[in-house]
Amino acid sequence: MATNINLDDILTRYPEEEASLIEILHDIQAAHRHLPRETMKTVAEYTGVPLSRVTAVATFYSAFSFEPKGETVIKICMGTACHVKGANLIKGEAERKLGIKAGQTTKDGKFTLEVVNCVGACAMAPLVIQNEQYYGKFKPVDLDKLLRTGE
Amino acid sequence: MKLTLDTFHKFQKEQAARLEGRKAITVCCGTSCRAKGGLDVASAIQTKLKDAGLDENAVELTQTGCHGWCEMGPIVTVEPEGTFYQQVKVEDADAIVASYTKGNAEEKLLYRDPTTRQRVASYHAIPFYAGQTRWALRNVGRVDPANINDSIARGSYVALNRALTSMTPEGVLNEVAEAKLRGRGGGGFDAGRKWRSAAKAPGFPKYIICNGDEGDPGAFMDRTIMEGDPHGVLEGMILAAFAVGSNQGYIYVRQEYPLAVEHLRQAIKDAHAMGLLGDNILGTEFSFDVRIARGGGAFVCGESSALMRSIEGKVGEPRAKYVHATDKGLNDKPTVLNNVETYVNVPLIVEKGSQWFANTGTDKSKGTKAFSVVGKVLHSGLIEVPMGTTLRELIFDIAGGIPGKNRQFKAVQTGGPSGGCLPEKMLDLPVDFDSLADNGSMMGSGGLIVMDDRNCIVDVARYFVHFLVEESCGKCVPCREGLRHLLDVLERITQGKGKMSDLDTIERLCDVLENGSLCALGKSAANPVRSTLRYFRKEYEEHINEHFCKAGVCPALCTYKINDQCTGCTLCAKVCPTHCISGSRKEKHVIDQAKCIQCGSCFDVCNFNAIDILGSNG
Amino acid sequence: MIELTIDGKRVQARKGEHLLAIARREGVEIPTLCHHEAVEPSGACRMCMVEVTRPDWEGWSKLVTACNFPAEEDLIVRTRTDKVMQTRKEILELLIARTPGSQLIAEMAREYGLDHPTLTVGELSEKCILCDICTRVCQNLVTGAISRINRGVEKEVNTPFAEVSDVCIGCLACAKSCPTDAIEFKQVGLERTIWGRTFDLVPCTQCGAPTLPKEQAEWLSERTGMKVEEYFVCVKCKAAQTARTYENIAW
Repeated sequence: MATNINLDDILTRYPEEEASLIEILHDIQAAHRHLPRETMKTVAEYTGVPLSRVTAVATFYSAFSFEPKGETVIKICMGTACHVKGANLIKGEAERKLGIKAGQTTKDGKFTLEVVNCVGACAMAPLVIQNEQYYGKFKPVDLDKLLRTGE
Repeated sequence: MKLTLDTFHKFQKEQAARLEGRKAITVCCGTSCRAKGGLDVASAIQTKLKDAGLDENAVELTQTGCHGWCEMGPIVTVEPEGTFYQQVKVEDADAIVASYTKGNAEEKLLYRDPTTRQRVASYHAIPFYAGQTRWALRNVGRVDPANINDSIARGSYVALNRALTSMTPEGVLNEVAEAKLRGRGGGGFDAGRKWRSAAKAPGFPKYIICNGDEGDPGAFMDRTIMEGDPHGVLEGMILAAFAVGSNQGYIYVRQEYPLAVEHLRQAIKDAHAMGLLGDNILGTEFSFDVRIARGGGAFVCGESSALMRSIEGKVGEPRAKYVHATDKGLNDKPTVLNNVETYVNVPLIVEKGSQWFANTGTDKSKGTKAFSVVGKVLHSGLIEVPMGTTLRELIFDIAGGIPGKNRQFKAVQTGGPSGGCLPEKMLDLPVDFDSLADNGSMMGSGGLIVMDDRNCIVDVARYFVHFLVEESCGKCVPCREGLRHLLDVLERITQGKGKMSDLDTIERLCDVLENGSLCALGKSAANPVRSTLRYFRKEYEEHINEHFCKAGVCPALCTYKINDQCTGCTLCAKVCPTHCISGSRKEKHVIDQAKCIQCGSCFDVCNFNAIDILGSNG
Repeated sequence: MIELTIDGKRVQARKGEHLLAIARREGVEIPTLCHHEAVEPSGACRMCMVEVTRPDWEGWSKLVTACNFPAEEDLIVRTRTDKVMQTRKEILELLIARTPGSQLIAEMAREYGLDHPTLTVGELSEKCILCDICTRVCQNLVTGAISRINRGVEKEVNTPFAEVSDVCIGCLACAKSCPTDAIEFKQVGLERTIWGRTFDLVPCTQCGAPTLPKEQAEWLSERTGMKVEEYFVCVKCKAAQTARTYENIAW
């Protein structure tokens, strides 16, 4: 995890203007796997956007989160192609097996379960993504194996 | 090296000459093939070629974008023969290179026609490809998207060179207008008219925006184009900028498409280095630059006014379009916004002429359209056909129809969350901008999701409304509040708590969404519900009156039971995720109803019709 | 100037002027919830929908929001057609379900003949209809202390991280501009509490009655050039002061 990335290094990649806000948030999210609250004020000052609008943007877009994510992020694609091929069942089983709801992280910080509204890999439906690795034609019964590799 | 109008022609010819009779092996490295190990296959083949003493002069190894038939990945082709290898593994590299040196094909990797059981030597003879007209996808799967010379060899920037050499901005505008190019993102607005308005509008700077926020679930045409032919997109935008008089462009790409972002970034850098983008393009007075803006994971940002707010760094809330973006768009300046597939068609029109383009398609919808045909269909993938091709041709002739011998076609969902579900009797409709809309759906951006009798239509309606509840920006009352109640009613019905009067409530909520919402997301949110109610009302009534989901999807309204046909093969027990099926080998199995989650995995694998779907109380 | 028709009456307007402004000038009533004269129209509540058409539209018409639809020559505006009234009524039913405790919404619903709402209602304590007047006022006219957090049904008005805001000046502009009184604040003696922050009100230099928070006075002074102390006179004393000034002049 690249937590040692300096905030200034990210900020200076972009001009000091409101239009840079979302790109900056993307880079911070990528570096820290969440948006550390204490960085938001600096971002607000750099872009000249009130802190309240920074938090409005950060909470509007689902790519950003203020809560740190688990070591392994499991995303279940909920696109239409995945849905008609049973994505709901995979989601239900994953929630049952991990004991958390989609959007949550396990208490030990190991797993975060997320749903995503289509990643455009519909020909592989149903699709599960574990730490950016795509698993197509996924069956609920495959979860056991996936969760073992995540540990 | 920066090219100029004088040097471009010679350079292009040189690059194209390299292709003449070229021996090449292409490995598909699109998102799907990558996931299945495409990159490893590529490097394995590379090693084997080296071992065999074959260098780049003897055979070129190209990592291309998506070939569209993702089902069959990883895909490897050998050119110029068009040999098509499917589901290639790293271990197959040896055999591929060996047969290549011998000048024949590796039989066991070739596609086998499901009806004739014969292996097919070339993709030109496979119905999935033979039935297509690939215009927007012309370079996708053929060029290495990370190599600008490869794109130029295949004709990229030839149209730009032509426009800057011998055409006026007005001339480019006229070609696009006369080609009757309509926006491929779903709206179908006349691109030429849009460009002309922006060209005429007072105000500077003017912006060219490419909408790459392909949000419709089940659609991936634009992802494939951005990943596989980024220079096609750039060239289209540059031509638009020339026609309209713009110096700054943006490509708004979904953050869920990291590979598209990577390839576009590379393409922009390469085009800069060659003098095809930036200041003084091809040595002329015309300058235009393109920046990438990543989306934040908000479906509503596919709506143009929300998209522009997002580029400005704001919350992606739409605003009224009473004043057009061509007058006041990004930063309140004149803006042209089209989607990826629209732009990629522009170089073709400029190069081959509006007449050539308008010869294909229907009266009001010219050219071709790319579709992602997915769901319960034998060959999922990307299919590009002339406008006016029927749904039946797309789904059955090219995509191979419904898989599973006992399964029946039920519906096809088109147009994403703004579209609808069409039943069997609508399959002969020509797909274009108008005919689907006249029947309660829309062509939309090109997602076609096929459903069979194991899909519940009420569940599909509930799915889309749930999707929209999550994606509504929450600005206007009808969309934010109306969808929430609509979901509430649909959930009640799928849980067996529905009343017949709920169907009236659904109609009422659909009305207020349609009449009252601020943007297209809300206005069209009723379509998935309305169309299912229109064509599949009986299924709603079964849910409400008989508490029965005959598709076996709504858990509260179905039970799975094993009948006497069971041979005790144990297959069902193996796939059951909750391990609730018991029984000895060669004896009838039993489902423990208390542990069953009605997932239907057992039903789908049973070869003996030994599992019945019954109503909630058996 | 251009001419258009509103409910059968020919009226004059500037080209591009918003229909709501013209209608109000002409005494035609159009209901609104998210409209506030001090800020740009938003088009969020959809209550001001009217039906527009043109002679050359061949009978075709559309519903638009009067608050931000620009007037054009020969436009025909109808403010109370069946479709308009039905849409407003449905919107009110949605709002009643969201804010069953709001008196204003209940009154408007009665006006539109909504006697028996059928949708499942939410919590009685909820009063916010998310019209965004407060956030627009705070963002555009004051310090931008509050904004709309989250998306869709989860949307709410709050300070960053729902914590005490250090840029809020306790001016109450948000609470005072709220059409449904959804923003709570407390004022006891020389203390005012809003958005979880308590401000000390400076006592009137003349009579000791509470005036306004020091933070607000400083913010105002920076923008008006008036001295901070000049704000620490209560309304009554200021009126008395003005009266005395006029008295002196009159003499």
